[in-house]
Amino acid sequence: MTAIHADIDALTELRAALTRFRYAQREAADRGGDAIEATRASLEAKASRWRARLEQGRAELAACRDRSAAEQDAPVDCSGYARAVSEAGERLEHIRLWQQRIDQQAIEFAGAASRFKNLLETDLPRAEEQLAAIITSLRAARRVQPSG
Amino acid sequence: MPEGYRLPARPDRDGDQQLRLLEDAWEKAVPYWQDDVARQFGTHHWTPLRDESRLYLESLRAMMDLLDTAERDTEY
Repeated sequence: MTAIHADIDALTELRAALTRFRYAQREAADRGGDAIEATRASLEAKASRWRARLEQGRAELAACRDRSAAEQDAPVDCSGYARAVSEAGERLEHIRLWQQRIDQQAIEFAGAASRFKNLLETDLPRAEEQLAAIITSLRAARRVQPSG
Repeated sequence: MPEGYRLPARPDRDGDQQLRLLEDAWEKAVPYWQDDVARQFGTHHWTPLRDESRLYLESLRAMMDLLDTAERDTEY
């Protein structure tokens, strides 16, 4: 098309850009949701691992204390087991706090994501349709055939 | 999905890039399109689309930042 129809070219390109935007943002939004779920799964796996370590540590500490109680003349040092239990408990709690924070933020994010999804699914196609009608009207008025 | 797995590119950054491309297309169209229909399109379609996209992408960026921080902060 010539420079005389630069407005039609520009509007055609704008419409194509809107369509590309719609598909690309939909894909990006899906990936955003996937990333949230991936992190949730990752944190849950970490929490599970530290829960197991905590349980194991508690069992080892209890066994150590039993040994210590049984050997009163030669007390057993169980402080290493106690530290391990304490550390596992702190890390598990730290992960739990992150899980809560992610859940809270995900709830807030869901509102914005829902509005944006609605915009992509409803408003944006309307804008594209209106542009298409304008382009068709301009072409008809100038007797220009669509390219491609 | 395996623990710690992260998709190769952050969606918020791709989303920002797509919005910039769309804004470029709009800026290129504006000089050729300045009638009442253009103004109505700008008011009813373009401005809400751009503003809502920016809001959403800011929320998405904050969410992705939080996910990255959570992963890093829980690596023991």
